[in-house]
Amino acid sequence: MRQRILIVFAQAALAVALFVATVLHGNIPDRERAFPTGAIRIGVDASYPPFAVDDDGALRGLDIDLAAAIAREIGLPAQFRNIGFYSLYDALISGEVDALVSSLPIDAARTDVVRYTSAYFNNGLVLVSAADSSGLDVENLAGKRIAVEYASSADSLLRRWSADSTELQRMPYELPEYALDALRLGHVDAALIDNLTYRLYQRQHSQWTSAVQFITHDPYAIAVRRGNHDAWQLVEAALEQLRAGGELARLIALWA
Amino acid sequence: MCIRRAKEIVYPKVAALSHRLSRKKLSGLLAIVALAGLGWLALDWTGAVPVEQPLGLSQQFVQTEKPQVCVHTLLENEVEATKIMRSLEMTRELGAATIVQFFPWAYVEWQEGKYDWARTDSIVRLARLQGLRIIARLGLVPDWARPPGTTLTNLPDAAFADFAEYAAAFAARYATDIQRIIIWNEPNLSAEWGFQPVEAARYVRLLAVSYARIKQANPAAVVLAGALAPTLEKPGSGVGLNELDYLSALYQLGAQEHFDALAVHTYGFRAAPESPPHPDHLNFRRVELLRLVMINNGDSHKPITITETGWNDHARWLHAVRPSQRAAYTIRAFQYAEANWDWLQAMCIWALRHPADLRGYPDGYTLLNAEFLPKPVYFELQAYARGWAASDSLWLRPPGEN
Repeated sequence: MRQRILIVFAQAALAVALFVATVLHGNIPDRERAFPTGAIRIGVDASYPPFAVDDDGALRGLDIDLAAAIAREIGLPAQFRNIGFYSLYDALISGEVDALVSSLPIDAARTDVVRYTSAYFNNGLVLVSAADSSGLDVENLAGKRIAVEYASSADSLLRRWSADSTELQRMPYELPEYALDALRLGHVDAALIDNLTYRLYQRQHSQWTSAVQFITHDPYAIAVRRGNHDAWQLVEAALEQLRAGGELARLIALWA
Repeated sequence: MCIRRAKEIVYPKVAALSHRLSRKKLSGLLAIVALAGLGWLALDWTGAVPVEQPLGLSQQFVQTEKPQVCVHTLLENEVEATKIMRSLEMTRELGAATIVQFFPWAYVEWQEGKYDWARTDSIVRLARLQGLRIIARLGLVPDWARPPGTTLTNLPDAAFADFAEYAAAFAARYATDIQRIIIWNEPNLSAEWGFQPVEAARYVRLLAVSYARIKQANPAAVVLAGALAPTLEKPGSGVGLNELDYLSALYQLGAQEHFDALAVHTYGFRAAPESPPHPDHLNFRRVELLRLVMINNGDSHKPITITETGWNDHARWLHAVRPSQRAAYTIRAFQYAEANWDWLQAMCIWALRHPADLRGYPDGYTLLNAEFLPKPVYFELQAYARGWAASDSLWLRPPGEN
């Protein structure tokens, strides 16, 4: 009993010490230091549904709702700035905006100047098959007909697979939706497609049941300036809150 | 133990070698080794990075029936020389006689006063070997020439002369290979102007000082102004200024004497190439409105080069078209230009290929994906440029139509 009390006491002391050390070293994120304008200035390219679109001046989409929810968690208003894709990172680096919430794939080459949060969406390639095709996966595709969008990254991957397995039949279509149509109508055994396309298609064909397996990972994350540790901590903590509370999943289900 | 074993093997061989060579020859050999070492040290000290040069290159020639076909390459960020070479080979195989290529100042003069031409030399040499002409675009400011915390597009007035010196050095070095030089990129956008308000007067000053220095360095050089972005932004917008007003302002400010030709960016977005131009619409024929500005300012004798154009076929971008539409629109755009625009020198598709896929809608503008897989538009453009019959369908019919 005495030993248990001692352990609990030691744990409490450690927690207090860590808290004090954190405070003394300034590691508690400072909201004013993170966002000195009193608002969170969000850079977004609003031309990419369902993440962000400009609907007659009103921005809508998953990225917009997510950024607004993060701002609410932090307790500051969100101010959106619609910026072309090629200028997003420059706007962040030059201090025009505080964060980029714009379906950004994590880009290792950028990490010397920006810091990404944890991912909020995975738009990797998925192998989709009919729900009753039990056991179909990347290991047993020999002889199978695989549909892809012509010249997409999925097509590149499938061509590499084809080089390894001559029995694999590549079935190219002009649009990714046609590849899924082919699967749904039983013309092919599987489709290799990006996760978002699959999700949007599944929403439109809710009666159709399918099996899905991630083949690659392409995480989307929020970017802040590398030196702005306070902003990163606050945004990451808010994102974690939204994830833990189910709000992130609700937003994804709403839009994608 | 290992070292001793190595000595046992090596020392007798060295001794035998020195026996076979006379003292004179040995001295010569040592001098060569020393010189090579010094050369290596000098290379290391100057920071010059030797660029890998692929072997087995021979002079090639572009076979084309449409010399106005041109593509914008993005080789400045390509790491591997073999990929630079492959990009240029596929440009030649496409039947494009010309490329637009960016040569960032920040990459060449990253140390003030020291030009590192290694990478630039490599690109120019490889393009020459493929029989390609280059239109050079110059821009991007080194760290030392701009205030801390600013972006690479921020060019302070105090650095205009430094930029002009780079442009002159570039023009002189590549005088036999490159005649056309574009000054800056899309100065009518704030993001391309260091996130400052766009200011035509400043661009005119940059153009004037660059033009003068380039002409001193290579009198035969053709200086292209503009490369203005197609945009509908009104005066006072924080984003930029529409290119029609901007070009008019350039003329009012006396830019006419400081450029030989105009570089234009014009994109089709979702409109067909024949869609008529209108100041409130962004479409392919918007270039005709810029041409009108030139005519109204007495500059009808100057040619235009479209240094960026194209349609996007990304599956989800709002302003994209289908891959088959993109291919058809692109060919019709070239046909329209050929039939109607005698003032056009070349039309360059944005863009050949990114070194790595951006995993977003900009990938829908390329002719090749990062793994050199040609998009449908590549094959269509190749057939057009080289006079071939159109290729068979690249994809299956939509399942519902079978």
